[in-house]
Amino acid sequence: MTLSADDRVADIAPARTRLPHARRFLNGAPAGRVVGLTLLALILAFLSVYPLSMLLYGSLHSTPPGVAGVFTLDGYREIASQQNLLTLLNTVGIALAKTIPSLILAVLLAWILARTDTPFRGTLEVLVTLPFFIPPILTAMAWGMLGNPQVGLLNQLYQGITGSTASPINVYSYGGVIWHMMQYSVPFLFLLIVDAFRAMDPSLEEAARMCGATRLRTFCTVTLQLMLPALTGAAILSFIRGIENFESPLFFGSPAGIHVITTDIYDSINQRSPPQYQYATAISFVIMALMFLIILMQWRILRGRSFQTVTGKGYSPGVMKLGKWRWATFAFCALFFAVTVVLPVSQLLIGSFFKFFGFYEWDMLTLEHYQAVAGSSEFWRAFGNTMLLGFIGASLTMLLGGIVAYVSVRTRWRGRRLIDTMAWLPWMMPGIVLGVGFLWGFALLPHAIPIYGTIWALLLAYISLGTPLSVRVMSSAYGQLSYDLEECSRVHGAGWLQTMWRIMIALVWPSFAVGWVLIFFGIMRELSASVLLYSVGSEVLSVVLLKLWANGSAEQVSVIGLIMMAMVIVFRWVQLRVIKRWIGAL
Amino acid sequence: MRSIDKTINRVEENVFLKLKRIAVAALAAGFAFPASAQDASWDAVVAAAKKEGKVVVYNMALGAPYFAAVVKSFEKEYGIAVESLDLRASELVERIRTEQSAGRYLGDVEMVTTTMIEEQLKNGDFIQKLPPVPNAVNLRPPFKATEHSVPAYVQPMGILINTRLVKDGDVPRSWNDLNSPKWKGKLLSDDMRPLGSGNTLFAVLQNNMGAEFNEKLAEQKPVFSRDMRNDARRVARGEYPIYITQVFAFASDLKGLPVKVIVPQEGAPYAQMDLAMLKNAPHANAARVFMQHFLNVESQSLYANAWMLPVVKGAAERADADAQPYANAKLMGMAKLSERADMMSLAKKLYP
Repeated sequence: MTLSADDRVADIAPARTRLPHARRFLNGAPAGRVVGLTLLALILAFLSVYPLSMLLYGSLHSTPPGVAGVFTLDGYREIASQQNLLTLLNTVGIALAKTIPSLILAVLLAWILARTDTPFRGTLEVLVTLPFFIPPILTAMAWGMLGNPQVGLLNQLYQGITGSTASPINVYSYGGVIWHMMQYSVPFLFLLIVDAFRAMDPSLEEAARMCGATRLRTFCTVTLQLMLPALTGAAILSFIRGIENFESPLFFGSPAGIHVITTDIYDSINQRSPPQYQYATAISFVIMALMFLIILMQWRILRGRSFQTVTGKGYSPGVMKLGKWRWATFAFCALFFAVTVVLPVSQLLIGSFFKFFGFYEWDMLTLEHYQAVAGSSEFWRAFGNTMLLGFIGASLTMLLGGIVAYVSVRTRWRGRRLIDTMAWLPWMMPGIVLGVGFLWGFALLPHAIPIYGTIWALLLAYISLGTPLSVRVMSSAYGQLSYDLEECSRVHGAGWLQTMWRIMIALVWPSFAVGWVLIFFGIMRELSASVLLYSVGSEVLSVVLLKLWANGSAEQVSVIGLIMMAMVIVFRWVQLRVIKRWIGAL
Repeated sequence: MRSIDKTINRVEENVFLKLKRIAVAALAAGFAFPASAQDASWDAVVAAAKKEGKVVVYNMALGAPYFAAVVKSFEKEYGIAVESLDLRASELVERIRTEQSAGRYLGDVEMVTTTMIEEQLKNGDFIQKLPPVPNAVNLRPPFKATEHSVPAYVQPMGILINTRLVKDGDVPRSWNDLNSPKWKGKLLSDDMRPLGSGNTLFAVLQNNMGAEFNEKLAEQKPVFSRDMRNDARRVARGEYPIYITQVFAFASDLKGLPVKVIVPQEGAPYAQMDLAMLKNAPHANAARVFMQHFLNVESQSLYANAWMLPVVKGAAERADADAQPYANAKLMGMAKLSERADMMSLAKKLYP
């Protein structure tokens, strides 16, 4: 740890005097920097502030944009009710109840798979992340079949073994809502933090061990402490996602009378007459303000502390030898995989070969769902569009996120906090509301700007939605890099571009790759904005899945879900092989 | 005098005959001319539609195979391409509203519920008056074209039972049978509080069965869900013996599963889907031709075979045997826009 987090490159005075070239860029010609920052701010303003400003207008106006009405605070007044306070507390409680155990599980999994010699950890690393990539509607259906109190397979198994008539598992409950959310938050958190664990210099842990600390104390006082930015950043992302989660409370909460903010927002837009956009947007801004307070807290906690684990000193990111305990850690990972992946996915896989899910009789065995998907021109058109949008969208999003994160974390430029905040904004707005913001924003653009009704509207929305995640991923990665690496490069005569390419990008690209995969598959799953912005010819997979589901073709949805999972396995396998090669080259 | 009278009579007869002939000819011409004029003018509409080359249909079918089949047959018959934008109800309405507010007139036809059209007319001028669609004369009672729309098809709702869990003697024949103590805690339903099928059922039963019916039903503690497609499968799997908001059509593709749709003796609540022309439709002629095609017997038969109620004469009779009870189901009524707010708050009161 060579410098504190506030000792940003722009303030390294000795280096500047010795390195006029680097200085020119980093601290450099103010005009160039101003132009660059302004351009960045304008891009972010268009992607996040513009649609949000439409929603803000909607929250303060009695009618949506384009309709005559008056400015009023009725939407905000309507929020102030005891029922809404209870719903908010319920929502926060559920989000916390899923984030805390998810974080514990993700940290354990990341530590086991990145820092120990657990057998088959490479394979396990791919497998434990699979649930994140399955459309939630499919896992909801699978868990509904497994854990319903009447005829759920797990309850029947329990009754068969114990002879009891009781049904201990009921997914239509708080537990079911939280469990279903955890299916997604554990692999999400794992993906966000595992590379931080992997990239850590083990000498820091070894030093603690040599000073007599136990493994547990070393883990708690060194490993976890160094991971604080990555952990808090990831936990906050996950917590906010918990607040905004919609599918789990809808499927498992509604039958049990569990209400959360997102189902309330959904009802106010989709199931009230006329749609209450003012209320929906107003409550979303209140939630956004609360989320922002949490982020400010994180900034306050981390300010002035250093979390650099990748320094200029040579190190080998080796793993901890666990001895016979390695089989215990293996069993833990295998159990997690079995419960979160094998149980639901086996339902989907088996069900995809039968005429109907849950009716596994020989005369219902069929390949018709695979044939229907393979023969659907709409599926292939949507697949092509989604791949195009996924590749371009994920790449541009990571590029934008990388630039924002670099400015935010590694410079002391004025306005960096503003840029970081602008990039955060879309994450704090529930997706079902933000989708409406994009619709209003893009439709009301001058007709000469050809965005509305084209595939570019989708691309811009995806970049906006993915940027907060890409910034968090890249910020955590940059936060771990010591400034001496850049100094060293510049001392040895490398230009800024060369330093960026050979040092910064080379060291953070595993995080870039993880972020890219998360955003790519996020684009594949995104529905709220897609359904409002797609046009004929620019259909995407999520819209096709919705249409199939709405028409009772759950088995075909499952086939597409399995195809998506196969893609994840290939992507992750390639990614991990390349990372392994990168580690070997260190 | 007599000869004069005869002559006069003869002249009168001739005049009368001539007048009669003229009148008959005029009447014949009067009937024939408009018909041929109509034919000619409709031919002109079709020609203009072909020149327009495409029609953009905003709909809530979400790619349903019967809708796709109608589209395909239309494209084949007229050589006019159909661009179908499939959206859920609220998204569709908001998209039309936003586009038109921004001066973007991209859609030609919408196929939405009657109440959605009423709401559009109440809140703005999103749709335009509809020029005549010839096949509308074939609408069967009680369906009628209005100044702004023509009925497209009807989606009635009944009761879905699991045939393994509900014995023959226990099969509910009347909506009142749902309030039997034996079904307490065993009824699955679409949520009746928000807008949707559940609330439609609630409103129609409130109007037709009396307030007491809904009060008793609430005491049965039905379990609410929000996924109608999956709910039918949950009943098939045996999670619940009865689902009380079963859209007939959603059960038509569950053949082979142990479920059956019951049409209660009082009739079936329903949602009516209408076709309307959007304001400033860029392909107005193609829009009319599409509506005309939608109302022909062949198109309506496709809907009848998918267990929906066709709106024109002659289609229900052509439905497959298994679809006949549903294509000819007794209808109970549909929800009214004017009552919607009251019904939603009443449902919230009964199901806090």
